[in-house]
Amino acid sequence: MQDFRQSSFLYLLGAALALFIVAQSLFFLRKAWRRGRELGISPATLRGAVGSSVLFTVAPSMAIAATVLALSNSLGLVLPWMRMSVIGNFSYEATAASAAAGALGLPGGLSEPVTDPAAFSAIAWVMTIGSIFPLILLPVFLKKIQAKIGKTAQSNAPWTDLMGAAAFIGLIAAFVARALAGQGEADRAGDGAGVLSVLTLVTAIAVMLLLELLAEKRGWKWAQPFTMPVSMFTAMGAAVAFAQILPERVAFLEWR
Amino acid sequence: MERSYFDKVHTWGRISCVLTLLMLLGVPLAITLHLNAWPPLPGLLKGLAAVLPMFWSVAVIETLSYAPIIGSGAAYLSFVTGNIANLKLPCAIAAMKSANVRPGSEEGEVISTIAVASSAIATTALLALGALLLLPVLPFLTAEGSPAAPAFQQVLPALFGALLAGYLRRHWRLSFAPVLAGVLALIFAPTLQVGVLIPITVIVSLLGAQAYWKLQGQKIK
Repeated sequence: MQDFRQSSFLYLLGAALALFIVAQSLFFLRKAWRRGRELGISPATLRGAVGSSVLFTVAPSMAIAATVLALSNSLGLVLPWMRMSVIGNFSYEATAASAAAGALGLPGGLSEPVTDPAAFSAIAWVMTIGSIFPLILLPVFLKKIQAKIGKTAQSNAPWTDLMGAAAFIGLIAAFVARALAGQGEADRAGDGAGVLSVLTLVTAIAVMLLLELLAEKRGWKWAQPFTMPVSMFTAMGAAVAFAQILPERVAFLEWR
Repeated sequence: MERSYFDKVHTWGRISCVLTLLMLLGVPLAITLHLNAWPPLPGLLKGLAAVLPMFWSVAVIETLSYAPIIGSGAAYLSFVTGNIANLKLPCAIAAMKSANVRPGSEEGEVISTIAVASSAIATTALLALGALLLLPVLPFLTAEGSPAAPAFQQVLPALFGALLAGYLRRHWRLSFAPVLAGVLALIFAPTLQVGVLIPITVIVSLLGAQAYWKLQGQKIK
């Protein structure tokens, strides 16, 4: 039987969604380009904005593709791909899918392939409904925000920055805490907090800090967008290496 | 009187948001109808209860904080296509800086819209390409017993470790309290789901940040 998570129907849905996004982006691009020319901005400047943005996009897209890959073991490729193409955000999608899998009581959570179509559709609903709120907020409030609150937000920028960062740190902290002290599925090696999860976490943090420092000291601005995906892949590679090098009872030791 | 470019952007943006909303909700609906598999209501509600408070409050914070920086056209497009903090926001800021235009001006609006639109097209194309290229190799990479399996078992510590480190250099003081709160919560309730853990760590983090803000303010005074 064909895997329902990778069916041609799902691929068609994904392709329709991707085309829709590209069409919308082209529409805005064309309108902005025309307005830019009317305002006297040179074609070279406009082309520069396109070129630098495309280049800038390559590295973070690797991280996004890695998230698709990470979620694909349980959800197949298409659903994570669709979710990461529209509103998707790598910490959100993993969180939403994990929370849904947890709520449904799926054995193994997202580390096992989801084989129940009802659970799969529930996860799709949670991921979608979790992410659509901006699409309700923006049409109603953006014009008013731009007119009135914009100035306040800019004058209060340090506080807004701090609270935004704190919200993200809080979200990340839940997963970090899980890697340090979370209880995994009893019958699954590598799922609970243990030697491998802590070594992976520490490697990711250390490599990221090192790369950022190096890029800054050497003035390698081009390297900055690569620091995050490189750290993540290095830490994933380190997990493989530690699993090979360390004695099995040490590598797969879990304390929860 | 002819409508200004800003007014037109809001009209296009509103239409685009509503169309995207319908299209997005159509995806799980189509999956449900196609598989003839309606999600179990208690599980669905429990899953939503775990993520909605956090996600929807972050949506409010993001709308308020990003939109004034990147301008209206870029904001509509960014929120439709996603990956704002790690992709669209830096793209828009870099493009405005190199074109030497001010955020909030009409020139800034034009350049940031072009930057975000180009980035969105590039991401969509790269992800589509990635999904096609990854498909044949995937089963070999993730199969149990494959030497690469630990990499996928540990993807969350790798991902969130790198993400945390991205914030550590500027905000290391803010990181201790939420991580500690998460660890303590897990020590007392080892089976706690991550969806329940997130609101705890986020609230602790926001309270910590507010306390830090007040403390800094007092120091300045």
